[in-house]
Amino acid sequence: MKRLLKYLGGYKKETVLSPLFKLCEAALELTVPLVIAAIIDNGIHADNTGYVVGMCLLLVLLGAIGLGFSVTAQYYAAVASVGFIAKVRHALFAKVQSLSYRDLDKLGTSTIITRMTSDSQKVQNGLNLTLRLLLRSPFVVFGAMIMAFTVNPAPSVSFAIAIPVLSVIVFGIMLITMPMYKRVQGGTDAVLSLTRENLAGARVVRAFCKEESEISDFSKKNASLTDMHKRVGMISSLMNPLTYVVINLAILLLVYLGAIEVDTSGGAFTQGEVIALYNYMSQILVELIKLANLIITISRAIASADRVADVLDIVPSETPGSVTECADSTYAVEFRSAGITYDGAAEPALSPSTFKVRWGETVGIIGGTGSGKSTLVSLIPALYRATEGEVLVGGVNVNEYSEEALRDLVGIVPQRAVLFRGTIGENMRWAKPEASDGEIYEALKIAQADGIVRDKGGLDAEIEEGGGNLSGGQKQRLTIARALVGEPRILILDDSASALDLATDARLRTALRESLSGTTVFIVSQRTSSIMHADKIIVLDDGEISAIGPHDELLRDSDIYREIYNSQYGGAKENG
Amino acid sequence: MAKAKANPGTLSRVLKYIGRYKLLLPLSLLFALITVALTLYIPIIVGDAIDLIGKSPIDFEGIIQLFAFGAVLIGLTALSQWLMSTINNKISFGVVRDLRADAFRKIHKLPLSYIDKKQRGDIVNRVINDAEQFSEGLLLGFTQLFTGILTIVGTLAFMIYINWIVAIVVVVLTPLSLFIAKFIAKRTYSMFKSRSEAEAHATAYIEESVTNQKLIKAFAREDEALLGFDRANEQLRKSSLKAIFFSSLTNPTTRFVYSVVYAAVALTGALIAIACKDNGTFLGIGFTVGGLASLLSYANQYTKPFNEISGVITEFQNSLACASRVIELIDEVSESEDSEGAEELCDVVGRVELREVFFSYDPSRPLIENMSITAEPGERIAIVGPTGCGKTTLINLLVRFYDADSGEILIDGKDIKNVTRSSLRRAWGMVLQDNFIFHGTVHENIAVGKPNATRDEVIDAAKRAHAHGFIKRLSGGYDSILEEGGENLSLGERQLLAISRIMLDTPPILILDEATSSIDTRTEKRIQDAFGIMMNGRTSFIVAHRLSTVVNADKILVMRDGKIIESGRHDELLSKGGFYYELYNSQFAHE
Repeated sequence: MKRLLKYLGGYKKETVLSPLFKLCEAALELTVPLVIAAIIDNGIHADNTGYVVGMCLLLVLLGAIGLGFSVTAQYYAAVASVGFIAKVRHALFAKVQSLSYRDLDKLGTSTIITRMTSDSQKVQNGLNLTLRLLLRSPFVVFGAMIMAFTVNPAPSVSFAIAIPVLSVIVFGIMLITMPMYKRVQGGTDAVLSLTRENLAGARVVRAFCKEESEISDFSKKNASLTDMHKRVGMISSLMNPLTYVVINLAILLLVYLGAIEVDTSGGAFTQGEVIALYNYMSQILVELIKLANLIITISRAIASADRVADVLDIVPSETPGSVTECADSTYAVEFRSAGITYDGAAEPALSPSTFKVRWGETVGIIGGTGSGKSTLVSLIPALYRATEGEVLVGGVNVNEYSEEALRDLVGIVPQRAVLFRGTIGENMRWAKPEASDGEIYEALKIAQADGIVRDKGGLDAEIEEGGGNLSGGQKQRLTIARALVGEPRILILDDSASALDLATDARLRTALRESLSGTTVFIVSQRTSSIMHADKIIVLDDGEISAIGPHDELLRDSDIYREIYNSQYGGAKENG
Repeated sequence: MAKAKANPGTLSRVLKYIGRYKLLLPLSLLFALITVALTLYIPIIVGDAIDLIGKSPIDFEGIIQLFAFGAVLIGLTALSQWLMSTINNKISFGVVRDLRADAFRKIHKLPLSYIDKKQRGDIVNRVINDAEQFSEGLLLGFTQLFTGILTIVGTLAFMIYINWIVAIVVVVLTPLSLFIAKFIAKRTYSMFKSRSEAEAHATAYIEESVTNQKLIKAFAREDEALLGFDRANEQLRKSSLKAIFFSSLTNPTTRFVYSVVYAAVALTGALIAIACKDNGTFLGIGFTVGGLASLLSYANQYTKPFNEISGVITEFQNSLACASRVIELIDEVSESEDSEGAEELCDVVGRVELREVFFSYDPSRPLIENMSITAEPGERIAIVGPTGCGKTTLINLLVRFYDADSGEILIDGKDIKNVTRSSLRRAWGMVLQDNFIFHGTVHENIAVGKPNATRDEVIDAAKRAHAHGFIKRLSGGYDSILEEGGENLSLGERQLLAISRIMLDTPPILILDEATSSIDTRTEKRIQDAFGIMMNGRTSFIVAHRLSTVVNADKILVMRDGKIIESGRHDELLSKGGFYYELYNSQFAHE
């Protein structure tokens, strides 16, 4: 929680005023028993009807003023907590923007989303309640005791006994049950994930006849969850009876001590005052239980706040450089023993590799599943930074470029074709916000996507969430166009035509060749047909470059390339 | 959620579940009664004691006697309160456990058509969250609804007993708070609605952009993304402020009503007490200061459950709605039971025969029509055809994931409807399109069909499936923990694991449904060799869209629109120059 406090900065006034008004309200509440005492001693005992009426009106007035205070307090609390969390969410979102691919891998996107949504919500509730109630309850508890002592110290001794005992009971039970509730949550999670698994894997479960063993596994987890529930329930249901006993015994003690005091003080201590003390005692119990519930909510909020703060505390592992122009180099891309081992991986995803690509060349990259194709191309726009050696674009180490400059230079079409909600036009202007419709249509034409846009009703047509109204192949073509709009000098197509049928794929490649003759193009593919016409083909195997060269040369010299080629072309005939 | 209604039959079903705790239920009610009665009686003792103080000389003897009695009652109250809670815990957690167990058992009895159709999150929600909310509501209902009503009735009775005039004042004024609460809830409804809309919008924005954060990064769109978020965030802030502030008015205003009630009790009580002092009684009531003390305490106790009860009732209704969702799941139509006298399918030779089989997912759109196939023991049957032609459906029928609408499917001459499902499925080894990975180690995931397999056996299977290479590169090797659904593996790697499962323990008949579709062509070729060895002597069904993987089959069935339009060996079909010929050549077109 502490780490987040700076986001309360703009709400200093509200943060102070809210509890303050709440305390004023509590103070008014504390005067009520005194008024009742006065009614009894000065009204009833003195037969003063007018006094009784006046005092009762005072009670209503106190209530009304209390209402005013309380509403003011609620308002300030709401302003502060809502404003605070808006700031926190902004900071979280901004932090996520600063993270590198590596950081994102480590963190995982689903946890970020939870922290920005449900965790933030819990923190907001926690703060709201804290401002309103955290000071109030102890204030009432101790205030009631002090008031009791000012009324008459002798019988108030029972307060001094009851409050510590009550505190021990309330907080003791809370401390014991809190970790137990956490375990219950763990138990629920176990039951939940088992249920989800059995649904998602229903076919596998049935195929391997695992029904009975899954059911018995569930029974075990279900029973242990129930036991945990019962155990913690048993302890927490001690709270009410125990506090009840303490408070009522304290009341008996109070009345008894009060009786002695009335007897010995000779009328200085009155019956009305005994009743006032009795009322104070009742107030204490109510407040202590409220406080215990509040503390549970707050401790949950603190746990959430810690998770939120953990994200905010992340120091981005990579800071971009400041170079904005590429050097005068004959090579567009150069790998100098560049390689990468992902965090926590046992072996490098790409072993140190060296190669050079001239401006305007087309490079094909081919290899098996997990051979490092995507990894290799992701090093060029520095999406991941090489952990060994260096990668140069236009003669400059990619780490030295400013992010903007590098993205202007290198356009990438990722494997997964994702479009955002909004119009097609909005999506197309990602790389170049000021692009004209004409420029966009030109890019769409090259990407074989102009027909799609026309069918959908032009650039203003809406794209549904996740591109739900587009097929996989349509999405791929649109994402290619999106990259083309930026007119990058280097274009990377990471297996981004896999969902296209062979004819469209061929047309796309022809269009790219004809329209982008000056552009350096990297094409990653599993299909030999997509890359066989490239100036240079890089064959990857198990994270290493096994061969580089044009198609004919590789067919002659590279066993792997030949094997891939044959598996797609001649292979069938050989076997048949 | 709050609007959800319970089905009419729900209550009786819930009662049936509760009925298993028949003996505990009346006990719980009994203890509730004792608790409430004693709790209400204690203020009277205190009031009496206070009255004793009023007299002089003070009757200490009397006070002590009164208190000794009071202390015993206090102890008894606490004891019965605790017993009641413990019993309620036992009942409600027990009921939920039983309900959940039934629901989970049901999952394994549901026809796959149901699981395929229904949203998974919805079913999980029923088993976990709905059951949980039901238990909470049930517990709350038991402990608070019943004691709350008893308390209201009890306090009222005691108040009338002490002073009926004051009692009437309380009864008339208290409902004011309910009206106010309702009024505020009505007014804030639209605010909450606009807040939840703003929240949904912000969440959707977060989901979309954070899930695709890498893409945003690849286009250096961070600033634009933040700008868009700030707009949604500000909207959420504004609407939250309104909703939170206005709804938080309920508590202070109802508290104000209570303070009015309190003042009214004090006023009427005090005035009557004064009148009684002069005349001894007022309208036939004898009333003392001690009585006033008790009444003030009752006024507090009376208003409290009033406030809670309306909350508890909504909660309880909601929990019944939750229960009805769980029960709805439990009541779903099950997969047909194994037929009576179903025999175990054992020592399978592997003759598979389909006779005039019809099937459709949707009666208005027939899919498989009049299909007859025979596979001799040890034959390799390949099934090819365009997407949606019914290949995978056919597989679903063979292993009874779905039942054929009519016709017969025979294994070794036995109708599969007359053998037990488990023995049928044990006869089949399957690598399916959707290869589910369970949360657990790589080892456990491979050993699904043979839980006691040794590490060496597992490694050997993985090696034959060509999965060993990627497994050994994982940070924990065979002990690496895989996430549920295999999110941390690529599609191809998941397929390799599924193939390892079947390599470890190979049943007599095999199904390979697009088993290598996500694996690169080179590795695929190697796996084909391993499959070749595995299929030796086993009847196998191979579904593939890459025709290069089926050319070696003994029989190729070419499917189109749910029918087999051609069948035969690869060369025969090619020379026929039919649909297969077209399909085969389209793979190499455009080059």
